[in-house]
Amino acid sequence: MRRQLGAIALIVVLMALAMIIAGTSPIDGFTALFVGALGGRNEIGETLVATSALLFPALGIALAFRAGLFNIGAEGQLVVGGLCAGAIGAALGIPGPLGIVVLLIAGAIGGGVWGAIAGWMKARFGANEIIATLMLNFVAADFALELVSGPLKGPLAAGAETAWLDPKYWLPTLLPGTRLSIALLLALVLALVLQWAFTRTVFGYDLRASGEAPEAARRSGINIGRLTWLALTLSGAIAGLGGATIVTGELHRFNTQLSPGYGFTAIAVALVGDLQPLWICLAAFGFGILESGGLAMQASAQVPKDAIHVIEGLIIFVLAARRYVATRIEGGAP
Amino acid sequence: MNGRGEPALSLRGIRKAFPGVVAVDGVDLDLFSGEILALVGENGAGKSTLSAIAFGELKPDEGTVHSRGTVGLVHQHFELIGRLRVWENVLLGREPRRGFSVDERAARERVLAVAQDNGLEIDPNAVVETLPIGVQQRVELLRELDREPSVLLLDEPTAALAPAEIERFFATVVQLAARGTAIMIVTHKLQEVIEYSHRVTVMRHGEIVASAPTHEITIGEIARAMVGGDLPDLATRADTTKTPCLHVKDLNAGSGATRLNDFFLDVHGGEIVGIAGVEGNGQNTLADALTGMIAYAGTIERRGTIGVIPQDRQREGLVMNWSLVENALLGRQHRAAARRGLELDRRRARADAAAIAQRCDVRAASLDVAVKTLSGGNQQKLVVGRALIDDPDFVLAYNPTRGIDVGAAALVQSRLIESRNRGAAVLLISFELDEILALADHVIVMYRGAVLGAFDRDRFDRAAIGRLMAGST
Repeated sequence: MRRQLGAIALIVVLMALAMIIAGTSPIDGFTALFVGALGGRNEIGETLVATSALLFPALGIALAFRAGLFNIGAEGQLVVGGLCAGAIGAALGIPGPLGIVVLLIAGAIGGGVWGAIAGWMKARFGANEIIATLMLNFVAADFALELVSGPLKGPLAAGAETAWLDPKYWLPTLLPGTRLSIALLLALVLALVLQWAFTRTVFGYDLRASGEAPEAARRSGINIGRLTWLALTLSGAIAGLGGATIVTGELHRFNTQLSPGYGFTAIAVALVGDLQPLWICLAAFGFGILESGGLAMQASAQVPKDAIHVIEGLIIFVLAARRYVATRIEGGAP
Repeated sequence: MNGRGEPALSLRGIRKAFPGVVAVDGVDLDLFSGEILALVGENGAGKSTLSAIAFGELKPDEGTVHSRGTVGLVHQHFELIGRLRVWENVLLGREPRRGFSVDERAARERVLAVAQDNGLEIDPNAVVETLPIGVQQRVELLRELDREPSVLLLDEPTAALAPAEIERFFATVVQLAARGTAIMIVTHKLQEVIEYSHRVTVMRHGEIVASAPTHEITIGEIARAMVGGDLPDLATRADTTKTPCLHVKDLNAGSGATRLNDFFLDVHGGEIVGIAGVEGNGQNTLADALTGMIAYAGTIERRGTIGVIPQDRQREGLVMNWSLVENALLGRQHRAAARRGLELDRRRARADAAAIAQRCDVRAASLDVAVKTLSGGNQQKLVVGRALIDDPDFVLAYNPTRGIDVGAAALVQSRLIESRNRGAAVLLISFELDEILALADHVIVMYRGAVLGAFDRDRFDRAAIGRLMAGST
């Protein structure tokens, strides 16, 4: 936990520094950030939209990291999940509530398949999952762009995107007057389920054992290959489900602007949340504030929004590098 | 022996603390030219720390180290580069040069000269990983000898050697001492201490508790000084009825030097079968095949349940960051009894952990502390207790007392005897022949993956077993 508090302190200090460099007092800068993120109904709605968009991939990442697998591919899994939901949603002709469930499941399956590819490569050929998942991000992005530029492009769409979903397939709004859908509730329920699964079930026990001590885990009767495959599939499915909630809850179609890098920011979210689902909810809210308040901060405090991404990158670097090194040295969890 | 003149190595008031433990506490030690000093003590007594300080690898918190000339150290675990040749390993970093390249001929000649000088037989061109352990040891020794040390520290030098190799090794050491090198051997093999050393120094809890010329002290006195009292008694062996439990026939598995060759073995309920052998003769392969960790050809038939004490508790047996409760469940988590509905039965897991701790005297602040905070002995007792708690029909114990103190070792050995007494079949694979002779009803000698001989308890012949362990029939 000390490391997590350190990371948060580091974010605050770095942001204050960026503000000073930009010629603004940190007090003004942070005020702009928080007003921009939490200053009204609409701002809070946008912050929570970002929170839920980050929460899904972050929970998926946490599941894989707990098993000792560095899934860097949440971005691609998110995109593929969204693509599946968007493509099927544009062509679907069944009642609304059932349709929504179908689209969410389609997203989870799409993301799951994307994760499973990396899992299969690792379990079958010993491929490094970091490289496999990272590279599959590019495959997913270009694959999606190609499809929505051609075969899946909506008949009336101006740019590269699918046709709009029938409103009966839109996720119900949670906070009237904002874009916030019940996706947030889904994410919170998922966090609770994962927290329970990690700490109370045999699956969670096996998952954590494999991450903490692979050799001891193998000798305790855990099928490591199967677990690797399963963990990356589930991890991808959770991210893919997130992609589907963005399509059904926010965009109401699929396009390549689905994610401004949620899948990468989610790595920082998962790490700052100490890979514990309930803490990750808090971390996602914190990063949601940065995502949605960043623009306001840029406008009134002249701190470029990109500075936030630089800082997120640094957080990943500091926390992930430390975990990675610790794993290599002690053979412990990431 | 020759305590005359200036010592070659002199340690004064050495103290070294690590977080939570004082490893060496106020030690004075002199080492003279031409003598062989044996430094003995239990694991954790401070021997290795002291030799690292003498070598200059560690800096003491207090005290001074003086040495005349260079100090060489041969590590317990060889630090050789397997893919390189003997001469490359011996001269690494000190290669003779010609222009910008290494003068290979001069290098080979130099290694040969040093080897002949010390009566060591070696092929400078051999690739190290293809050599037997005993010869690798020679390479390690040559690397130090090339620097012509006036003080030579040997850390558990015979741990991986067969009895015959041990004799050869000590012949070299005695010769070195005769030519004036000061030698300190860190060991726990008391038989070697008595046979080859001139002086014995015993450490316990970081302090020197006894020091005497070897001819004035007995093995029993050394052992009592090491433990700080009398050795605990083992559990007594009861009469048992023997029922077949494990049947292994025509077993082939693994590859290279540790490959199993038509290995065969029978273990009955109510007996302990010991596998005697020098490290690296296929014991790992056998243990892995018996526990289903590797593929094999041949027959392995086992009746009933199994409990495993793996040889490397930290890597293979425990999750170091986890609590005693969580570790008590490892390897048992897939049993139906471990679950209640979808969840793990946490109350039961805690009760099991408490039972293990109580039966095997695992000392911990609580059942919830991480096992990495426990001493090696307590970690091992936890692993042993876990393997035995479900009363398995077959127990595989691989070096069950390695690296733990005498008290903990006696407890572990007693638990194994008790398992045998209640009718379990126990297979004991150990690199310590003494342990096997003390516990086993039946001994099988393993050499290069094959069975080279078998002995019943009433026909144990230490010398014959030792010869077979070295491969001579």
